Amino acid sequence: MSRDRTLRGAAAVAGIGATPYYKRGTSPHSAQRLILEAILAACADAGVDAHEIDGFVSYANDLNEGLAIGAALGVREIRWSTMVWGGGGGGVAAAVNAAAAAVACGQGDTVVVYRGITEADDGRQSYGKGHFPPLLSAHGVLTPAQVCALRTERMLEVDGVPGSALEALVQASYHHAQQNPGAVAYGRPLDHDTYAGSRWVSEPLRLFDCSRENDGASAVLVTSAERAADLRCAPAFVLSGVQGAGPDWSESAENNAAYTSAGFHPTMVARLWAEAGIKPADTDVIQVYENFSGPAVASLIDFGLCPPGPEAGAFMTLPNLIAQGGALPVNTSGGNIAEGFVHGIGLVLEAVRQVRGTSANQVPGADISLLLGGPVAPLVSATVFGSAATI
Amino acid sequence: MTEQPGAPDLAGPVPAELVAVAERHGRVVAAGDNAATLADFQPDRTGQLIASARLPERLVSSRLLRLEAEPDGLVAAFIRYTAEDGSDTVLRSRWIKLAEGWRVTQVRNIPDTPPVLAAAGPRDDRLDAPHWEGLQVGEVRVQRCTRCGSWIWAPQPLCPRCHSFDLAWPAVEPAGAVYSWTRTWQPFTSELSGHVPFVVVLAELPAAGGRRLLGVLRDGDCADVRVGAPVRGEVDPPPTPGGWPVLRWRLA
Repeated sequence: MSRDRTLRGAAAVAGIGATPYYKRGTSPHSAQRLILEAILAACADAGVDAHEIDGFVSYANDLNEGLAIGAALGVREIRWSTMVWGGGGGGVAAAVNAAAAAVACGQGDTVVVYRGITEADDGRQSYGKGHFPPLLSAHGVLTPAQVCALRTERMLEVDGVPGSALEALVQASYHHAQQNPGAVAYGRPLDHDTYAGSRWVSEPLRLFDCSRENDGASAVLVTSAERAADLRCAPAFVLSGVQGAGPDWSESAENNAAYTSAGFHPTMVARLWAEAGIKPADTDVIQVYENFSGPAVASLIDFGLCPPGPEAGAFMTLPNLIAQGGALPVNTSGGNIAEGFVHGIGLVLEAVRQVRGTSANQVPGADISLLLGGPVAPLVSATVFGSAATI
Repeated sequence: MTEQPGAPDLAGPVPAELVAVAERHGRVVAAGDNAATLADFQPDRTGQLIASARLPERLVSSRLLRLEAEPDGLVAAFIRYTAEDGSDTVLRSRWIKLAEGWRVTQVRNIPDTPPVLAAAGPRDDRLDAPHWEGLQVGEVRVQRCTRCGSWIWAPQPLCPRCHSFDLAWPAVEPAGAVYSWTRTWQPFTSELSGHVPFVVVLAELPAAGGRRLLGVLRDGDCADVRVGAPVRGEVDPPPTPGGWPVLRWRLA
């Protein structure tokens, strides 16, 4: 007797909710309050009573445990709780996948995925806590920016990816942010001279290659495909999801085998496409986590969405990466770099909007929407969302 | 606030008006005039510039030592600041011509010295302690499995390949090649102030089975670093009694 072990189409995102992106350190409320606001907004979006939530999932060591959030919301019963290991935003898609897996096998019916940060509660650089032991920090390597700079430098110098590929990704984010009033870069377009003249953070990364920390929270509500079909919003079905770390990947003090990879190793990539039943070229739109521009380009290369090496330059151009006619629109809300950064949870909401057809930079007829979680993190993850037409 | 007499050295085609601008900058910095100092900075990077350099508290004078034209159109100004206690500190500011005038776009302490981090030394679980103890006697020790011979880095509690717990820490020849590198400009913490920019090198060591070790590159400020360049390890003594020595790299 064989059992159906596929995730494809079993669960869907039925509601999304977010607080504004506040400049870091300026949130009027605690991270807990922001998370509660985001969850209530996601429930209102779905038309679901928040008391019905029976599962909580987060990642990157969110300080607000699901059980406390559940108690605050007065939920009737908690049946599922998951914290995804690994620092930074590597686990963002894995959190969605965990919620979908719980729903798919009946361990939960209404599972919320959330992430909230305020500088007052989490401190600066909460994304890297615990991942900079003395073998890094004694040498002045204190931040993800420097680790990602080391990876990017070799990708540029040895693999031959041109720096213009990084700039194109950043420019696409700023382009999209001009249509998104909620984006921190709304009304602040970026031209080439400003990008190229900006200060170095850690070579080869300049200021505009880096995401910015914000205070804020977002949440998505995951439920069964059957139930989602009866709710207010068009469901964003989870077609497949992967998470993990390849050989020699995690916590190796820069001894990762595939050093210029974002961490999406070939078997993981193959699993994502196979379970979704699609090829890379079927992807209509991508939200790719850009802690920094270089690793985001590496993610696209890992998934075969962008050619490796020097050819990446011809592919990664602004016209090719925007929702208005681009072959591979990326980060259509502005992403971590230009919309705002709360460990990438905002990218999940935008991936869902594209399937619903409600993005400020809507890709016409988008049916397949890809979410790629934080590159170079100890754990990386990805989710494919699909519209009803893909089921 | 008296200016020392004597004209600065000029190297290359230095615009004449910059002499007075840089001399005045030295005076306002020495006078502790923060508003005037900030007005000299390129506006999009004042925070980075303020935290990049480190100066003593009480300055009594400044002297513009040298102006040097650089290939990229910037001009480097070397200004010596003398403190109340008689100590001298030299800063190198790099100036850029903007529409509104000459502004400081980069600044650093001279000479180039590596940052000293309190984080140096074994981690709490002491998994890497033999490495740090090796540095105390001038050796670079890397973890190796006694049973299967695998080189292991970062250190692990057992051999990931054969699962033996019998691990050794042989000293290796600290010679290798740059696997990757980054020049860090952002003073992420106050410990980095006075030492940025500095270059971190990830060096691949043939004597350790190709394992890669991080370290700050000596004299990395203006170094032309490339992947593949040969480097050699040196051990810096503990900065304070009871502190830990640190591995540095030097272009070989």
